[in-house]
Amino acid sequence: MQAEDQQAQPVVIAAPQEWTLPKRPSVAANLWKFTRRKPLGAFGMLIVITMLAMTLGTPKTAFGAPELPSRPLGFELGKPWLARYDAEAIFRDANTGRIARYNEPSATHWLGTDKGGRDTYSRMVFAARRSLFIGLWALMFATVVGTAVGVVSAYFRGWLDTIVQRIMDAFQAFPALLILILLVSLRPPSLTILAFGLGFVGVTSVQRIVRGVVLSTREQPFVEAARVIGATDLRTMVFHILPNIMAPIIVVFSIGLGAVILAEAALAFIAPQRVPQDPSWGIMLQQTRDAIPPFPPFASFTILEGKPEGYHTLAAGGAIALAVLGFNLAGDALRDVLDPRLRVG
Amino acid sequence: MQQYILRRVLLNLVVIYFVATLVFLLLRIDTNYVVTQRAGQTQSTDQRDPDAAKRLVRKDLGLDKPILQQYWIYLGDLAQLDLGESFQAKDDVMEEIGNRLGPSLELGLLQIMVALVVAVPIGIVSAIRQDSIVDYVLRFVSIAFLGIPVFVLAVFVLRGSAIWLNYTPPLTTYKDLFPFPPFETGRGVDIWTNLQIMFMPALVGGLGTGAIIMRFLRSQMLEVMRQDYVRTAWAKGLRERVVILRHALKNALIPVLTVVGLLLGTIVSGNVILESIFNVPGIGLWVVNAIGNLDYPVVQGVVLVVAVTLVFVNLMVDITYAWLDPRIRYG
Repeated sequence: MQAEDQQAQPVVIAAPQEWTLPKRPSVAANLWKFTRRKPLGAFGMLIVITMLAMTLGTPKTAFGAPELPSRPLGFELGKPWLARYDAEAIFRDANTGRIARYNEPSATHWLGTDKGGRDTYSRMVFAARRSLFIGLWALMFATVVGTAVGVVSAYFRGWLDTIVQRIMDAFQAFPALLILILLVSLRPPSLTILAFGLGFVGVTSVQRIVRGVVLSTREQPFVEAARVIGATDLRTMVFHILPNIMAPIIVVFSIGLGAVILAEAALAFIAPQRVPQDPSWGIMLQQTRDAIPPFPPFASFTILEGKPEGYHTLAAGGAIALAVLGFNLAGDALRDVLDPRLRVG
Repeated sequence: MQQYILRRVLLNLVVIYFVATLVFLLLRIDTNYVVTQRAGQTQSTDQRDPDAAKRLVRKDLGLDKPILQQYWIYLGDLAQLDLGESFQAKDDVMEEIGNRLGPSLELGLLQIMVALVVAVPIGIVSAIRQDSIVDYVLRFVSIAFLGIPVFVLAVFVLRGSAIWLNYTPPLTTYKDLFPFPPFETGRGVDIWTNLQIMFMPALVGGLGTGAIIMRFLRSQMLEVMRQDYVRTAWAKGLRERVVILRHALKNALIPVLTVVGLLLGTIVSGNVILESIFNVPGIGLWVVNAIGNLDYPVVQGVVLVVAVTLVFVNLMVDITYAWLDPRIRYG
């Protein structure tokens, strides 16, 4: 009876208060916090996201040979969503039937047209895609090679380190732009060689930073522990050191993106005949520079007045400046959040 | 110190050897393309033989020999400071570089001067009035100049002056601009033309470089102003000017020198762009034109000379650094 009773009515112990994990801040809250702490960084992120949106387009065909940038990751992309017209569509004046050269901004052409009667805004959007994909491919190359060289060089030290570092010194002795000019003039113009050249120039700075980080990481107890349990050098480098230097690598990647986009624009500007003739901010800017006769001094330029190719200059130059600014600001903010002690460049 | 300099010079020689080898290898990545491109611009000796021009170019570039022999000849020529002659004008590359060095050097020095003249006062004001309105405005302007690439700013300046001021810089050759080494003409330097040519590029390049230096100087000044000896200087009643200029600035400027040294490579690259935009008859303009003509000896020569110069300038910066700051001892 008693036992039955007890079974029927077990002693009720006050249920322990259920543990509730502190609620994870939502993504929106995190974003808001980041914006409050780093307003400039958030502004940069906004520009980067806008640029990403500019590059999106509908996939056209199935996988093919990876070629830049119309086929990122194997997809051939159609017209970017934000572009209003095709990049090469030529517009004519409705009344005269002539090519609409350097039209002023209007409802049909938001930023006017260029020398060949093509829509400036659409070309700007296409060029954004080119800049971004060249930047990504170049930095992928620079980061992979630079990280490999930096890790190996710092891990083994000794004579290997000395030799590798001297070779890297030699790479670094070249002014980046000159070596880029030389590189692109050695092969037929293609986006692949352009991306490779830009990455090649970036390898030294990536490996210098990575090497510095690895030199301190390799002295840490967990690396020693890995060695004690008999991990091979390769295993130690790949599974123990590499995951621990991811933060600086991400930072280097994000900060380098702005520099690479700038270098690509500069190269297209200075040697437009040596780069592929797809829409490019550098080429767009270069086209209007040539609209100015450089001589004679003090001559009257009334012939230029009322010709709104200034909008074209402004659009191309503004796009480059904004993109570089955005990537720099975003990269700096990312560095402050991930690894504040890292000094890049 | 002497031992340090000696060791660095020897290491630099090794680096220069690597640089030369790298340039040699680069030019031989795809000789077929190089030769075909170049042959398209050469007057063929024999109309019936389409390969005659290619053979001519191959011979000119020395590509008709085995690669090791090419390398040996290349190193031998370099040791004698012989960089060959340009395709287009058949100028001696070394001599032409010497002639064009003047305007390029002048532009580089003027840029650094403009950068320092702009950056030092602004950096100081921005640091001693930290977080004031002035500081925010100055920092914003410097970030803006960091973001605007030098060639974008240059095009805006050139277009602006052409449209609104009806003025563009004159066209000259290096013979008028900078007779260095002195030419037989007996003409002196045309200072007025020289200033007209140099003014805009020096300003545009200097502002971009100045923004970097200003940000660095500001953070250095903030660091130094917190030191004990600066507090002592304030405490013993020195005037603000003396404390800031004599005590703080002197010490804050030393690391800035390193940054200027590191920026030299950037300035050389920037010079190539500025020279070709503003038609300054220096090395940069020459090299850009040479690329258009696929004039490989010129490009190769300029890349080599500039790289070697940068290597030794960096050594000079390091030595100056040790000289300015006696605490630095190189083993």
